[in-house]
Parts: sequence; C-alpha cells; structure tokens
Amino acid sequence: MLRALLTAFVLAVAAPALAADGNEILRKVDRNLEPESYEMYRKLINIEPDGRKKEFVLYSVKKGRDKVVALFLSPPSDAGRATLRDGDNMWLYIPSVGKPVRITSLQSVVGGVFNNADILRIDYSVEYNAESMQEEKDAYLLNLKARTGEVAYDRLKMWVDRKVLLPVKIEAYAASGLLIKTLHFKDIKDFGGGIRRPASVETDSPLYKGHRSVMLYSQLKKREFPDEVFTLNYLSRVEDLRK
Amino acid sequence: MRVVIVLDDAHPSPPHLSPRGEGRFEVQMPCRAFARGTITIARALAVCVLTLAAATAPAAEEFTFDAAEFQKKPVEIGGYLELKHQQFRLNPDSAIYRVNFYQDPRARIDQSTLTFKPSGVLRRGEASLRFRAHLDGDWETRGFERSARFDEFYASYKPDPGFTLDAGKVSLKWGKGYAWNPVAFVERVKDPDDPELAREGFSMLTADWIRNFDGALRTVAFTPVVLPASPDLNPDFGAGRHVNTAAKLYLLYHDTDIDFMFLGNGSRSRRYGADFSRNITSNLEIHGEIARITEAQRQVVSAAGQAMLVRGAATSWLLGVRYLTARDTTYILEYYRNGPGLSEDEMRTFSRFVDNAYAQYLATGNGAPLARAANLARGGYARPNAGRNYLYLRVSQKEPFDILYFTPALTLVANADDRSTSVAPELLYTGFNNIELRLRAFFLGGGTDTEFGERRNSRRFELQGRIYF
Repeated sequence: MLRALLTAFVLAVAAPALAADGNEILRKVDRNLEPESYEMYRKLINIEPDGRKKEFVLYSVKKGRDKVVALFLSPPSDAGRATLRDGDNMWLYIPSVGKPVRITSLQSVVGGVFNNADILRIDYSVEYNAESMQEEKDAYLLNLKARTGEVAYDRLKMWVDRKVLLPVKIEAYAASGLLIKTLHFKDIKDFGGGIRRPASVETDSPLYKGHRSVMLYSQLKKREFPDEVFTLNYLSRVEDLRK
Repeated sequence: MRVVIVLDDAHPSPPHLSPRGEGRFEVQMPCRAFARGTITIARALAVCVLTLAAATAPAAEEFTFDAAEFQKKPVEIGGYLELKHQQFRLNPDSAIYRVNFYQDPRARIDQSTLTFKPSGVLRRGEASLRFRAHLDGDWETRGFERSARFDEFYASYKPDPGFTLDAGKVSLKWGKGYAWNPVAFVERVKDPDDPELAREGFSMLTADWIRNFDGALRTVAFTPVVLPASPDLNPDFGAGRHVNTAAKLYLLYHDTDIDFMFLGNGSRSRRYGADFSRNITSNLEIHGEIARITEAQRQVVSAAGQAMLVRGAATSWLLGVRYLTARDTTYILEYYRNGPGLSEDEMRTFSRFVDNAYAQYLATGNGAPLARAANLARGGYARPNAGRNYLYLRVSQKEPFDILYFTPALTLVANADDRSTSVAPELLYTGFNNIELRLRAFFLGGGTDTEFGERRNSRRFELQGRIYF
C-alpha cells in the first residue's frame, strides 16, 4: 500500500516536470528545424499507388512564430497561387480569381496526404503543449495536445532524436483517436548558417491507402521580412520577395 | 533488394537509373551480347523487365531537389490553351429562344471555342510590366467569331512591401462572395456559372498601402482607384466622359477581414459598400457583403411592349457560408439580394410581352415587336441573374474513393422568387501534369414565366480541356 502511494506521489510530482521538459524540448525542436524567420524552397511530391507522381514547388517565407506565406512556382497550372497563414487564419490566393479566400487547415491546396496545416506549418510549440514525455533508448517520445480546437490535429506523438533534438517520426491523431497520418523525417543535411535538419519529410496515411507524399527542402536560410508581407493585399506580390 | 547485371561497359546505365541506393536495381544494357548474337531472347526480355521494374519500383525511388532551377528570371511567360465544346439543347417555348431564333428555328447549337491566354511579366528593379492576353476563336453552328484583347496590361512600381502603384489595364477583385459580388464597383460582372474565371479589367491608376500593427487591429490596407471613362477609354464602364474615383479600405480586426468601399458619382452613380469574412471554426467560414447604390436604373416593359426606365436607390447584399466536413466535402451556400434586379412580376410581364409578340409574328409576319424584345433582353432580361433574390449552393467532394485530383461537384443556382433553377453537375480531373479536364452539364427548369424556364436552352453540356505552360 505504502509502495503504491509512493509511486503515485512520485508520478504526480514528476509528470508536470516531464511535461515542462517536453515543452522545452519542443521549443528546441522548433528552432533546430528552422530559424524563427526564414525563406526556403520546397518540392512536394504526391505518389499514387500505381507510382504516378505529381510535383509542386513552393517558395515559403516565415516570420515570428505563426506567420507563413507560400507561393507556388510549379507546376504551371498552379504557379502564382499563394497561401498565407497568420495564426489560425489561412487564405488562398488564386491569380485567376484575383482575391484571397479563406481556407481551413484540414483542406489541402495540393491534394494528396499533406494538408494546409502541413504546408503552412508554424512552430509546434505554438500549437501544441507537451502533456507528457517518455524517454526511450535513442529518442524522447513527446505526447502533444493541441492548445486550441483550431489546430488541425488534436494530438501528436513526436519521437525526437536525443542527440540532435530533431524529430524522427510524428504520428498525427484526430480527437476521436483516429491516426490521420505519419510523418517520417529523413536525410539530415547541413543547409549552412548553422541550420542542420532533415531535408526530406515523407508522409503516409491510413486514410489514403497506398498513397505517399514527400516534402523536400532546399535553400533554407534565415531572413527577416516586414510585417506587411504577411497580409492579404500582399499575396499577389509574394514573387517580389524572391531574389 | 539489389540486382546487378553488368553485361557491357560500352553502354552506360540509362540516366534515370542511379547506381546507388538501397533497394535499387542496377542495370546496364547487354548490347555486346546482342551484337555478338549470343544473348537469348529470354535473357533480353528479363533485362527489359528488370529495366522497367527499376524505373517504376517505388522502393527504388530516391528524390532530390535543388531549388537553383527555380530561380527568379527577369522575364517569365505562362498561361494556358483551352479547348471547350458546348452543346446547347434549345427550349423552343422559351421567351429568350423566341427573340433570338424566331427567324431561324433550331433544336440545338454546337459551339467549339479555342482560347489562348498567355500571361507574362518583365521585371526591372522595383518596376515591372505585366500582361494577361485573351485570344479566342469560336466555331458555332451559325458561324465563326474571334476576338483578341488584353485582360490586363499594366506597369507596376513597388518600392517596398508596404506600397504598390499600378497603371494600365488592371482587373481588381473586390468582395468576399463566391458567386456574386455586389461591392465589385470597378469590375466587370462575374459569371456565377464560372465564378473563378479570370475577367477583363479596366484601365486605371491604382495604389495600395499596407500597414501592420500589434493589437486587435492587425492590418490596415488602403486602395485608391482613378478610372477615366470616355467613348475611347473604358467605354463599357459607363456613359459620358468622367474621371471616376473609388477606394477600398481593408482591416484585419480580431481575425475578421473587413472592407469598406466607395465609388464616386461619375460614369456610374455613387455607391458605398462593406464586406466581411471570418472563420468561425477551422472548417466553417462566413462572409457577407452589402452595397448601397444611390441611383440604380433598370429598363422594364409592359405586356403591351411599352418600355420604361425605373430609377431609384437600391441596396444589394449577400450572406454566405463555406463549410468543410470531415469527409472533405465542401459546401458553399450564398443568398443574394440583388437590389436593382427585376421583380418576379417584371420578369413575368416580359415573358408575356414576348408571347404576344411571337403570336403577332406568326399571324402577320411582323417581327418588329420581337426585335424590340431582343433589345430589351440584351439590356437586362437575358443577362445572368437579372432577378432580385437568388440562392446558390455548391457541393464539391475532394478526391472521392481515393481518386487523387478528382473533384466532382454539384452547383445549384435558384431564383428564390419564381423558384426556377439551374442545376449543374461537374467532374474535374487535374491528375495529368499541367492538364485540367472538366465535364459539366446544366439542367435549367422552372416552367413558363420563370427566369431559368424562359432561358434559350433547357440543357447544356460542356467538355473543357486546358493545357498550362
């Protein structure tokens, strides 16, 4: 009885401490993945079960912890489309429509397994709280809970490499407990400027059996932008930011 | 798995086959064997199979990406080529059919349209020159027509991200509605059958100031517009010679987009407007628009054929929602009150005038009343959404049955006064690189004396293919 009480006491004292450690690790993961403000190029590849592929190339910029813009450079059918995220707000600008329309995090502007929340990802620590952390042989397992109902995934299980504090695998769950997708972080590469992170993220989903999507990173650099870049009126001009 | 067949070092591996990577096949072609005639057909087939397997096996894929090939260029050209075929099944009992075809009756019209829409930009420092052109050829049962124009052609000066100055032919897009935009004061009217279609702009001088702040009011943007109109410049903006002024003020306040618009008195009467858009939850968005026109006018006709101009102030408004379900079904629902639109009685009176005119034509051969009706139809009655109250519903399903890039949709436009409807099922496929295929059908119904029941066609079928470059 005494042992059980002691165990319960130790757990009660240790759990918040582990959660605090988990949030600290999560913040480090965020900064190890990207600087707070950056520009980068990404290629998204959707692979169908029969091997057919569709590729998209995006130029993305981010400022602070929750402002992101992504511009489609390719394919020509999507070139010029731009998406903006400011906290929980997301918009899509289509050149032919000529004005931004609000979109939601669970939609996907590219089709396939990546949704808008994946493409316009902001810092994990802004959207998620580490409720608990488990220490495994080579990784920390962070159990993350969405801070608000606006977040695309209700819960994440994030395996973080203990040595480099970078994610290895993330499982994303709906509020019902349903596994929505799994993200695999691969190919750690030196991007220069002190940025060393996975250059490839692959995802699969039980909701899209046999489909895979891959996100490849290139020319990730620290860069500062004025706030005006992250506004609706600027979406038609994101191209001007490219050098 | 690793299979290596090395038969001839004179012929290197095909360029798409890397010699590295786990699970990758390494194949070199057996050409010397072929040359010596010693290789068996079976062996050649085996090599072919392995080559194909290596090319398609998912396990062998190794993705690379170097952004260098996507660097910004001083000149960029893009656009699309579109081929569209439409078949209109005509409704011989309808008013609009009678005014158009009383001398040339027919059951259907086939129309093929080839459209070329190139666009491009030339950049030089903080300035750029942009264009979007429109060239089309239209083969219809009754003849051939073609047109060429610039939808947009303007110079742009952007000294910093917070300021832009544009001069030339620009297509501005104001409002938050999907199918209609009553606050679109300086635009050509949107076609609710194709709301996302790029439209022709007007020649103007316009600027854009953007400022961001900390706090509840996060963004303020101001867009003034100077739009001259005369018989030579922007002749379809309005009558007379005027230098029209308009402006839009945008606010992002507490996660809500808010706009206020104004158009001064000139080629068109003075009008004021406002709109808003907000995400209520991560999958539900609401939006609305309201516009006050100080003096709107519409031409109406009596059953005897007497045309009258009705003038007065009018208010138009729109309320809409966009909802995404867990199954990726998107619903767009909008209600539109078209203040200056024709009432149900006015629409019915026009239909009866056409009935009388047609009866007179059949009895006497006098087509003058029908010709007058045709003018009235062009002036208002036959325009899209000429009525006063409308409902719009669009339901689209993203990638059903796990078919990527496939989006079926159903669109309903209803005249809420006479309850006539246009129902349009649609299939869209974008799975081929740079190709978009769309198949649509329109079923119009509502009976006599109703808007959609009196349109010239009762059915329309449309197949459209676009190649982007």
